[in-house]
Amino acid sequence: MHRDAFSTYHPLVNLAFFVSVIGFAMFLLHPVALGISFVCAAGYVLCIKGKKALRFGLIFMLPMLLFTAAMNPLFNHQGVTIVAFLPNGNPVTREAIIYGIAAAIMLITVITWFACVNAILTGDKMVYLFGRVAPALSLILSMSLRFVPRFIAQAKIISNAQKALGRKTSPFKILSMLVSWALENAIETADSMKARGYGLPNRTAFSIFTFTQRDALALLFFALNIAVILAGVAAGAYRFRYFPDIQGEWTGAGTLAVFTAYFLLCAFPLFLHVKEALYWKRTASVI
Amino acid sequence: METYRISNLTFTYPNRAAPALDNINLTLAQGDFCVLCGHSGGGKTTLLRHLKPAIMPHGTREGEILFNGTPVNDLAPRDAAAKIGYVSQNIENQIVTDKVWHELAFGLESLGLPTPQIRLRTAETACFLGMQAWFERDTHTLSGGQKQRLILGSILTMHPDVLILDEPTSQLDPIAAEELFTLLAKINRELGVTVILTEHRPEEAFPLANKIIVLDNGCIIYEDTPRNAPRNILGILPTPMRIFHGIGASGTCPVTIKEGRKWLKTQTLKPIPPVQEPPPVAPALILRDIYFKYEKNAPDVLTGVSFTANKGEITALLGGNGTGKSTTLAIAMGLYKPRRGKITAHGKITMLPQNPTTLFIGKTVQEDLHEMTQNLDELEHIVRQCRLQHLLDIHPYDLSGGEQQRTALAKVLLTRPQILLLDEPTQGLDTAYKQNFAEILRSLANTGVAIVLVSHDIEFCAEYADRCALFFNGSIITQSTTRAFFANNHFYTTGANRMTRGLVENAVTATDVINALQKGSL
Repeated sequence: MHRDAFSTYHPLVNLAFFVSVIGFAMFLLHPVALGISFVCAAGYVLCIKGKKALRFGLIFMLPMLLFTAAMNPLFNHQGVTIVAFLPNGNPVTREAIIYGIAAAIMLITVITWFACVNAILTGDKMVYLFGRVAPALSLILSMSLRFVPRFIAQAKIISNAQKALGRKTSPFKILSMLVSWALENAIETADSMKARGYGLPNRTAFSIFTFTQRDALALLFFALNIAVILAGVAAGAYRFRYFPDIQGEWTGAGTLAVFTAYFLLCAFPLFLHVKEALYWKRTASVI
Repeated sequence: METYRISNLTFTYPNRAAPALDNINLTLAQGDFCVLCGHSGGGKTTLLRHLKPAIMPHGTREGEILFNGTPVNDLAPRDAAAKIGYVSQNIENQIVTDKVWHELAFGLESLGLPTPQIRLRTAETACFLGMQAWFERDTHTLSGGQKQRLILGSILTMHPDVLILDEPTSQLDPIAAEELFTLLAKINRELGVTVILTEHRPEEAFPLANKIIVLDNGCIIYEDTPRNAPRNILGILPTPMRIFHGIGASGTCPVTIKEGRKWLKTQTLKPIPPVQEPPPVAPALILRDIYFKYEKNAPDVLTGVSFTANKGEITALLGGNGTGKSTTLAIAMGLYKPRRGKITAHGKITMLPQNPTTLFIGKTVQEDLHEMTQNLDELEHIVRQCRLQHLLDIHPYDLSGGEQQRTALAKVLLTRPQILLLDEPTQGLDTAYKQNFAEILRSLANTGVAIVLVSHDIEFCAEYADRCALFFNGSIITQSTTRAFFANNHFYTTGANRMTRGLVENAVTATDVINALQKGSL
């Protein structure tokens, strides 16, 4: 992964951003809103994952988009503008086709945002966020993240050792050996925890993340945009319907303001990324 | 001021007749660097665990243990956790969390310190131990030496008065072990922390220590400076001391190689005749021009490895970490396919893995061995050969390291190999177990089995191998008979050879030097 500016923000900021954009992506079905969210998500995933994301998009997302878009009019027959009839006599409507495309874009937008979540909200950030709610849970998570790679490595070692005896060992037997290994070692781990005072009352949860002014400003920025978007939704500036015929708000000061706010919110990490890239490009050219 | 004062401590494990610790009297002053020696099963770990209340073993106990003047069991739990640092033998099992920074903070979280203070202490400790570069890494990506340093750091953050370490180098290669000792010396010198550790490798530990304690059958048989250590604990002494006591010399005993050389110059040494090349024997395993890498875009691990292992000989592959020794074994075994090159094996080939527990399936040693064969005569023969007669009813996990190693070896031998591969067979074993293990290997070699072992243990290879090969950077730099190999190397060689360099040729083991000296005095 390329080093990304947004990932250096406090985990709470990362979480607030993704919760709001994914929420809006699922509930704001206005074509312009869908377009904004899709472009920002796709742009951002390309920035942080590069070629890999592009390949994934072309091989997996594009067929899914086409498939979902094609399936809707075959089963959804609402809408007033009939384009053709299916062999079974059901109509194919223009509204159903357009709704299919919109729904497909919504789906892959959400998937793309989740791909970004995966890259930005890494294990340690998740552990931290859980720890805010339940410190014990966060320690368990952290210990599991330590244990899983060890368990997999040991499985490989045991399987190789058995192979070196010149025999095939059933996976079940290997699992049973792994379990005795894990239990045996857990005793020593427990001792090591006890030796470092685990179990004393009033345990605290430490994290290396610091909440700075920059994080507060980012949260404020999100809050302002979210307020504008919600106000717009309440005032009907986002009004749009697919059935029975397509009708919706396209222009008007309120609508434009809402779209601007939505764009500012979704493009925030992309904007940071580009700004960072430009900064380094400029510095490099000066040198 | 005394860190510990132990008086009349006697301890017996439940359901055992003989006490594990017998009337121990011991005083450790603040700032002492103390090495606890003795054979496995002599009570070293039991004594160490008595020094920390949270992990004290269960059993009947008499006597008194004072820490900074207070009985250890009366210490406030918070003080006991913070002031007494304990590092146990297994490195992997002591790391609890997934991130380096979190592991460093673990003890402080337990103590309930606020975040800013934890931030400061972890940062300080990371600086002191040189961990900044990997402060944010995942713990499972660290090397063995880094992990050991992390464990040390996670204790130092709590500002302990004493560090207790149970065989801290048993899972490290020689370079990492040396780094650890340097670090311990620094902690002792610059922070005044009392250090007490058990150790099988005296060469590095003795020069650092101001006190040696020898424990045998639960009794302290020696307690004084390293220099005055008596000759009756010969097996655990560093090479210069072994040689000095070996000829029964008098005067000041040398402890380091440097002192040993100085002392040797005052002695008369008879030349040692070079050993004749042994007659050529039939090869059992031939590797020719092996190239290998684990992944498409990864660098080559092996770049043209060629070597031959002969029937009835012990061949040792030496070299640093990550030079491809273990990979070569795995390829010879057929666990991976070489990208290029040819392997010829005359006869059945099996491997004893580095960790013997990876072979254990049964609930007792007997059951585990039975699983390999139905032939009872053969089983009995192997049990006798590996000296397991008295261990048959014990659960394999309850055996000591050396006994586990022998059980695993028995299991491997039941497949009747003609070629036996061993990966680090002596790691963590004490001198007596090593000798025991070497005798078994020799008896196997005498029946015509070709033995190939990968090892960091220079002294072991010098003593018991027939041929040695040096790995570097994915290929074998040199291969020759053990004597020629160590006599020609400058750095990668035994203590005895380094001590006699330029004074007498062809000395490889302490016994060689002792013989040369005795002939000289005749």
